[in-house]
Parts: sequence; C-alpha cells; structure tokens
Amino acid sequence: MSVGIIFPGMGPWGYGDLGRYIATNPHARRLRRTADAVLGYPLMDMYRTAGPNYSEYAQVAFLISCLALIEQARDTLEGEPVACTGPSFGGKAALAYSRVLPVAEAILLAARLARCEEEYFRTEHKDVVTQSIARTPGPALREILDSMAQRNEWTDISCHIDEDFFMVSMRASSLELFLKEVRAAGGFPLYAMRPPTHSSAFGALRQKAEDEVLGDLPLRDPCLPVIADQNGSVVTTADGMRAMLLDSFVHPVRWPQVVHSMRELDIKKVYIPGPDSLFGRVRCTTRHFTVVPIKPPRPEGRRPVNVE
Amino acid sequence: MWNEQFEATLRKHLPFLPDDEELRPELDLREFGLDSMGVIDLLVSLESEYSVHLSDDLLSMDTFATPGVLWAALAELQKTEERQ
Repeated sequence: MSVGIIFPGMGPWGYGDLGRYIATNPHARRLRRTADAVLGYPLMDMYRTAGPNYSEYAQVAFLISCLALIEQARDTLEGEPVACTGPSFGGKAALAYSRVLPVAEAILLAARLARCEEEYFRTEHKDVVTQSIARTPGPALREILDSMAQRNEWTDISCHIDEDFFMVSMRASSLELFLKEVRAAGGFPLYAMRPPTHSSAFGALRQKAEDEVLGDLPLRDPCLPVIADQNGSVVTTADGMRAMLLDSFVHPVRWPQVVHSMRELDIKKVYIPGPDSLFGRVRCTTRHFTVVPIKPPRPEGRRPVNVE
Repeated sequence: MWNEQFEATLRKHLPFLPDDEELRPELDLREFGLDSMGVIDLLVSLESEYSVHLSDDLLSMDTFATPGVLWAALAELQKTEERQ
C-alpha cells in the first residue's frame, strides 16, 4: 500500500490553536527558532498580536506547524510517502517537505510571498471576494454563473473542491444576488474570503511574485513527486515547482484532479499534517483514501477561539 | 426545549464539548468545534432524521450559530411540514 502526504490549505487559525503547540513541541520549537533567525523578528509575539487572519505571521506559524507535525510523525507513517501535495497554501509546505528549498529559505519564501500578496491587495481588487459554497452541483453553479454573466457580472471559479463544493470569486456587489441564487438552488453558502484567491484576474500578482520573490530563487528538484493543485500534474523538477507556485495565483485549485493523480500513484492512505478543515474531509478525498489527520494536540478544556 | 434525538445528533458534531457539559441554548457552536464542514454534515443529518428541507432563508451559517437558534428553525420547519 502506498501512502501520500497532503499539506492542508490554510484557515485563519487563531494564536490559541497553534501557539501552544509551537511553544511546547520540540520540533516546532526548533522551527520557530529558525523562523525567528531568518525573519529577524519574534514570530510568535507577532502572531499573538496579529489575530486570527492570513497575516504573514499567521502564515509562517501555520507552515512551521505543518512541517513540525510531519516531522514528529515520521516514524509512525506506514511506509515512505510516494508523493505529496498541498492545495492552495499547502503548496509552500509541500515545497519545504520535498526539499526544493532548505527549511529556513522556505520559511523566508512563505513570509515574502505573504508580504507580496498583502502589498498587492492593499490597492488592487479591493472589491473582490472569494465565496465558498457547498451542496451546489457543478451544473447548477454553471447555470448561476451564466445568468450572472448575462447581467455583465464578473465571476471566476477559484477552487473546485468536490463535485458540489466550490469557491467563486466575484465583486462584493454581486455577492448578495449570487448567494440568493445559490440558496434557491438548494446550495449552502459558507464563508467569504478577503482578500480573494486563485483567479485569472490576478495576473499582475503572479508577475509581481515572479519579479520580486520567486523568479531567480535557486530551487532544487523535489526529492519526491509533488502533485500540483491546479491540474494534478506530477511535478518532479525545480522549474515545475516554480511554475506550480506562480500559477497558484492565477489558476483555480482542482482538487478532484489531485485526488485522481494520487489514485494513479496507487496511494491508499493519506496523512494530513496540520489543522485541516477542508480537503481531508470532503467526500472526494474520504471515499478514495484512508485519511489520517496529524493535528496539534488540543488544549484541555474549552477550545480557544477559532474562526474560519 | 429540544428532544433527545436533536441533542444526540448535535453533540456528535461538537468535538470540544465534554460529555458531562450541559448543552445550553446559547452555546457558541463554532467555539465547540462546529466548523463549516461540520455544519454541512450536521445539515445533512438533521434533514434526513427529521425529513425536512431547510428553506432558502435558513441556508446560512447563522442558522447554526447556537443550539437554540438551530432548534427553533428545525421546530418551525417541522410545524410547517405537518400543516402541509
């Protein structure tokens, strides 16, 4: 039986969710020291005051938590992973795990990409959101998007999560009517992300990330195949990894294609190191794999605040 | 007040609520582990167990904010179904 690793996409986990793990686990503590040194600031102090959002600090804390969890679980995996993947933000952890960059440089890369995005969205696409919807089959969604196109309202599918689960980007002014039509079709709107993500409209962001962060970064070939979240292709070269990270800005996540590729590699069991609230739980994943979450231990008593 | 079936179903989706802690009407369900995927699973369970379909105006995260709000919505739906 082959096993694979899925590094989760990121939700805005609060300090309480990851702070204790990073403060107490030896693997996480070592990575935190590496982060402090390479970033030049005390990561956890910054994260604590930043709140539950997608800040640079939250992103780096999420990254090192995922890496520490897989390192901690290394001896318990049932076999050597044959491939890894990382939908959306998880691509950065997949890059570090597959040793495309040394871990210190991968942490720095994650921080610089976060800054790059934050700078970009400070002035661009301020009116765009990415809305998650469940219980909305593809044909029903297509119908809704077609009717919006007829009204000259721009939309773009940012994430195909399952056959009835999507994320769609649009202008905030279009959201109310979109949600009404989704509900009328029996769909269930979840949450809206700001800033938005994964859209062909963000070509200038892709260019900025290439020019300022990724363009001349000396990447190595991954030490195990990485499955690209945009199309399920199996990436085995440094250039492929660079393209995968850059294309992530402008191409939607197509999770069913990633699942298909993992099945082609005969993967039967997947480990998910990190606080996953989505990709390891959708039917598309659970009906094809034995899913083993590797989560930070939960603090005793009541769960700290965690908003999605 | 809700029935035992509702409470048992709801508790299955609250991983951070200890078995011996009371399920209060105003409990913040998200704080006790009901995340967005959990809401979808709970919605499917409740619609199946109570043979109802949430109406358009109830298909929102707000419906799943607290046990009290959720039960009120479900009870109202059941009454409507009975009248029809």
